[in-house]
Amino acid sequence: MADFDVIVVGSGMSGGWVAKELTEKGFKVAVIERGRELDPVEDYTDMMDPWQMEHLNMTGPAMRARYPVMSDYYAFHSYTKQFWADEIDHPYETADGTDYSWRRGYHVGGRSIMWARQSYRMSEIDFEANAKDGTAPDWPVRYADLSSWYDRVESFIGVSGNDDGLDILPSGGMYQPPHDMTAGELFFKSKVEERWPTRKVIIGRAANLTQPTEEQIALGRGQCQARNHCFRGCSFGAYFSSNSATLPAAEKTGNLTLMADTAVHAVTYDPDTNRATGIRGVNTRTKEPVEVTARVVFMNASTINTAAILLNSKSQAMPNGLANSSGHVGRNLHGHAGKALAGGIIAGFEDIHYYGRRPNGFYIPRYRNHTEPGDGYLRGFGFQGNVERLGWGSRIDQRGVGQAFKDSIRKPGAYSAFLVSFSEMLPRYENHVRLHDTKRDKWGFPIPVMDVKNSDNEINSVRQAARDAVEMLEAAGATDIWSNNSPDLMPHAPGDGIHEMGTCRMGDDPTTSVLNKWNQSHDVPNLFATDGSFMASSACQNPSLTYMAFSARAADHAAKLMKDGVI
Amino acid sequence: MTRLNLTQARMNRRSALTGLLAISASGALAACGNGAGAGQTAAESIDLLRYAKPTKFFSDAEIKALSAIADTIIPTTDTPGAVAAGVPDVIQGLASEWGDDNFRQYWREGLRRVYKSLSGETKFVAMSAQEREAVLGAYDAKVYGGETEDGFYRDMKKTVATAYYMSEPGATEELAYEPVPGEWIGQAPISKYPKTWAT
Repeated sequence: MADFDVIVVGSGMSGGWVAKELTEKGFKVAVIERGRELDPVEDYTDMMDPWQMEHLNMTGPAMRARYPVMSDYYAFHSYTKQFWADEIDHPYETADGTDYSWRRGYHVGGRSIMWARQSYRMSEIDFEANAKDGTAPDWPVRYADLSSWYDRVESFIGVSGNDDGLDILPSGGMYQPPHDMTAGELFFKSKVEERWPTRKVIIGRAANLTQPTEEQIALGRGQCQARNHCFRGCSFGAYFSSNSATLPAAEKTGNLTLMADTAVHAVTYDPDTNRATGIRGVNTRTKEPVEVTARVVFMNASTINTAAILLNSKSQAMPNGLANSSGHVGRNLHGHAGKALAGGIIAGFEDIHYYGRRPNGFYIPRYRNHTEPGDGYLRGFGFQGNVERLGWGSRIDQRGVGQAFKDSIRKPGAYSAFLVSFSEMLPRYENHVRLHDTKRDKWGFPIPVMDVKNSDNEINSVRQAARDAVEMLEAAGATDIWSNNSPDLMPHAPGDGIHEMGTCRMGDDPTTSVLNKWNQSHDVPNLFATDGSFMASSACQNPSLTYMAFSARAADHAAKLMKDGVI
Repeated sequence: MTRLNLTQARMNRRSALTGLLAISASGALAACGNGAGAGQTAAESIDLLRYAKPTKFFSDAEIKALSAIADTIIPTTDTPGAVAAGVPDVIQGLASEWGDDNFRQYWREGLRRVYKSLSGETKFVAMSAQEREAVLGAYDAKVYGGETEDGFYRDMKKTVATAYYMSEPGATEELAYEPVPGEWIGQAPISKYPKTWAT
């Protein structure tokens, strides 16, 4: 008799969904999380005023040394650092001649605490892409397989936005009221859409509650207060996180056991039955070994850690790691390539201001290699951005002293447009994570080594994004245009886009993919992975919503198999 | 520099600030790499890093000079100025607790140099408010007009202003601050919200 029906390794965006769905179906679920439990009172800093922040909330030399990769990320600062992995305790290496920026957090809730809440569906065009251009094995699913699961996830987490009616970015029918655009954004939108009728500037679809449902209120969640402090944690539970929504829902069933501070080192396996039997790992505080057994194991440790755990789960029967007969575990590591950056001043609208702080911006869905050709690359890119007034921070390095200086800053600044691109990165076998031969972390786990490079596809895509961004600003009549547009522009280091994925991809062929269309291992039928590792291609939109929809779908399938006694 | 500022402006305000000050810290490192060179004696080097008191890097005289400059950049008007808002204490804290030796040396050297160039027969601290504004305004115009290159002066000005606009009087009296707006309104008349938002 196993300890639990199901073990879920990881409590973030996807693990929380598996736990919710399976506990609600009556299964006993253990969520095993390497990080600590968060205490909203201690860990959320969303109630702090600017003057309460020590040292102007600047990242100083000591913090930079402790967090060399995390500390240059936009969501990292002194009052969010508790949500980012300590890089001294959690080292990784990169292969010679490569670079990788791995942004992650180890605590209950994982990256669902500090995600940017942009919630987009993948489209039929995305699911068909591998088959059409032959870059990678075909996705074993199509949009129709996912649409009801997207509905289910959007309805539960709460997404604000519009039904924009776009084939490239399908929408659900249950969005909460969208955020307004600013005067500058409406103007920018009109100019871009006038010049390029198939480019659309839409309000972002954000997992911030603008009109909570009864279900959300019953979980203790409240309406978004328009503070835009989301990265500090939200005391109102107004943006979706595992902590605000899926884990409380799972806990309500009485079927959830949360084991924090427990790092999984391997999935255990019985070659006689060809079944995973549970996990072994270590209590990260006491370093005592931990073993837990279950009928079914879900991997939700995030794509690099999921691959690392499976690679470390070697046995005589599976010498290359568990569920790795294809040799693709850890391979095809991809994500989103960034990033074109551009901006400029949109003159006018002096008499129109705004109120509050919107935790969202606009979005321009992909149009390249869709309604407009791409120049030297497959797939495409989308843009996030906004047009808001220049704040004080961007106007203090200007001429003037005394009353005149104060007065010029007291007056709201001009509307200023900003655009940032995310390009689809193609999956390639040679881009991978492996385990270091000798180095171990302080708990004895082999450290991951990333070996990932951008190709000409990513380079050309990012360069066109930069050119397009400048052209759109020009079409909107922007002045003082700045950008990183250059014929020599190179993408940021892989991983910088924080959407790493692909190390256990799904596909119909067990020799070229790790998972089947149900996120179930081809090799080991009671092993599933529903974090970003299953992704067979990245599309270019933010992936969290897709991870959640696949998680709910896979959990439902696993439940059926368990009830039927198949696993 | 305009380009960087605009880039930062379009991130959220918090990250803009982090970015801004990160630039100022890296500027400090670069400046130091060039400045603390072979021409410096050991005694000078020790002097540049000496704490005035066990937990205070800047001496009373330095704080007095810094206060005079800060209060000239942001004087008390219908709202409190930089000194009333506690800006010198924040900068003392940065130098004493937050920065490293590079940062401290950059600030002590820079402050001495700027103060010297602002002082003639009458020291800057001894001038009237009007005289200070004329002298500092002229220096500021040279720096921003491109006549004089002074990265430290600009870093100091940005730090003074940041400390001011993040202070309680700077945020709530000089600018408009709403800790919990409750809702987002994308378009609202400027007559109702005439000031820059503090965050």
